[in-house]
Amino acid sequence: MTVEKGLVQFSDVCLDYRLYRDRSVSIMETILNVFGRKTSRDWFRALDHASFQISPGESVALVGANGAGKSTTLKLLAGIYSPSEGVVRTSGRIASLLDLGVGFHPELTGAENIFLNGALLGFDQKKMRELLPGIAEFSMLERFMDTPVKYYSSGMFMRLGFALATSVNPDILLIDEVLAVGDSAFQAKCYDRIFGFRESGKTIVFVSHDPEAVRRLCTRAVWLDSGRVRMDGPVDDVLGSYLDANAGRLQNTASAAAPREWGNREVFFSRVTLTDGSGIPRRTFRQGDTVKVNTVIETREGRSVDNIILGFSIHRPDGETVLASNNLENGEPLLTVNGTGEAVIEITPEIIEPGNYLLSISLTGNSTDYHWQDYFYPISLLGERKTPPLRMSSLKVAETSTES
Amino acid sequence: MTVDFLLMKSLVDKDLKVRYKRSVLGFLWFLLKPLFSMVVYTIVFTKIIRFGGAIEHFSLFLLTGLLPWNFFGASLSASTKTLLDNQKLIRSIYFPRVALPISAVIANAVHMLMAMGVLEILLVAFGHTPGLSLLLLPVAVVFLAAMTSGFAMMISVGNVYYRDVSQFLEVILLAWFYASPVIYPLGAGLVPERMEAVIRFNPVAGVLEVFHSTMYYGTWPELWAWVSMTVWTAVILAAGLTIFRRMEPSVVKEL
Repeated sequence: MTVEKGLVQFSDVCLDYRLYRDRSVSIMETILNVFGRKTSRDWFRALDHASFQISPGESVALVGANGAGKSTTLKLLAGIYSPSEGVVRTSGRIASLLDLGVGFHPELTGAENIFLNGALLGFDQKKMRELLPGIAEFSMLERFMDTPVKYYSSGMFMRLGFALATSVNPDILLIDEVLAVGDSAFQAKCYDRIFGFRESGKTIVFVSHDPEAVRRLCTRAVWLDSGRVRMDGPVDDVLGSYLDANAGRLQNTASAAAPREWGNREVFFSRVTLTDGSGIPRRTFRQGDTVKVNTVIETREGRSVDNIILGFSIHRPDGETVLASNNLENGEPLLTVNGTGEAVIEITPEIIEPGNYLLSISLTGNSTDYHWQDYFYPISLLGERKTPPLRMSSLKVAETSTES
Repeated sequence: MTVDFLLMKSLVDKDLKVRYKRSVLGFLWFLLKPLFSMVVYTIVFTKIIRFGGAIEHFSLFLLTGLLPWNFFGASLSASTKTLLDNQKLIRSIYFPRVALPISAVIANAVHMLMAMGVLEILLVAFGHTPGLSLLLLPVAVVFLAAMTSGFAMMISVGNVYYRDVSQFLEVILLAWFYASPVIYPLGAGLVPERMEAVIRFNPVAGVLEVFHSTMYYGTWPELWAWVSMTVWTAVILAAGLTIFRRMEPSVVKEL
């Protein structure tokens, strides 16, 4: 019986870790244990009877809070851990982008490391010799192949790691938040390659805290909560519920950058769309592009409210604010809304580094909070890149619609 | 299986390449180290304690014991670190991890073999013409490497749980060295009879006797040496493999 390549089966899986108060146990302590003075040893159940199945060609995101079991799941899929209970089955070659370049030995050259890593992945020298030029080219390190990797910058290191891990034509690709590889141009290249894998029908399992990246890459999401599968379904549904649940939970721990919405809603945003300077809806922008936040603002029961302050802020994924302003600060007139009004915020985030960000917007009055949408709109800023990788996902949609 | 072999070969290659980076004498150390210890022991046991005088070309006798012993000790010391040094790797991709302790042993075996080649030339030069029994030397090397791998597997796992293992090993190796027929021969009346009976139960005694007799004496090893070598090797390799297999899943989480 041959199983179709790219299949992932995760049935009733449990994984327990031993927890120590201090890591290195000494022999003395063990001897004491033998004589009955047990030092406390706790078990931590990272996965608790989790089950799901992924068909070949599916792109599935694992979402959940820190410690929910996402990375553990990836490690089980990669074969690094074996389950304490249950069965993990995968078919086909697996490429894991869990920790890039960890197998590299600093004293060996780029090429030598490629051969060594190839052997670790189960490839012989001949096969690696074939792959070598492609890896060198993709990582843009052709000139550095004979340089020991200890002289590489961290970006070069990661580039080589990514190029190597993805060069082996996997059936299943495991990705753990590693897409912050190198500069934005290379990041875009990585995305292209990953989307390319998706287009060619590879199975992808993706762990990320960035909802937009998840939406872009995956069609389905599995929400892990304390080691259990809490929800499994189309990406938008799962992500929606997950983000909602977080918005509630994070009310008191305001530092985390989970989206939340609050205020007395005497004045509120009834519709918000993000577009580029020419009015095309976008979430991914190039550096120097204008980010237009088009808002429709309404007042409760159509009343007239004046002296409204419209503000925005841009945050890094961890919640740190990188840019914030409002019309009061900018010396622009305060808004007056009579029933319904429209306002546009134009941001040209030239000074912000490429990467993923969260946009917050707010309506406030003189010491009143009307409506806040904190960390609500994920946006990505790309560097020198011309075609945002967003294109790739629309390509897929077009393909499926012509088939049906 | 072929892939595992390849993996092993790559890891050994790496080990050999990395070991002598930034070293002027580089590969020569494989010879220099046993030669230095040979000089020390020769002086100690022929000029100071006067015990080796009874053996002709005591220095060469020493080398035939020191080379396998140094291999054994160096491999075990290296094995304490193999899993810990590669923990990031172990935690980020899957590969047969047993290749790590085994490759540490093989890398040391490569050194031993080269040194033995040089030693054999010296032996011939000093009139120890090899007999047919020398053909058994490769067999002994394989057995010794297999036994060492068995120990290495146990030690590498043990040291993940208890760092005391590596400290303990140093002390043990010192005692073990004197309790093994490395610098003295068995059955030559140099060791009290009762002691000798005990020493023969030492797991490495048999294999060391095989080295001495095939290389230095050019005679066929005694039967007990063969039995000791094969039985101990089988037991220790099996124990090492079993322990490693059993512990591997928890070791990965423990690292």
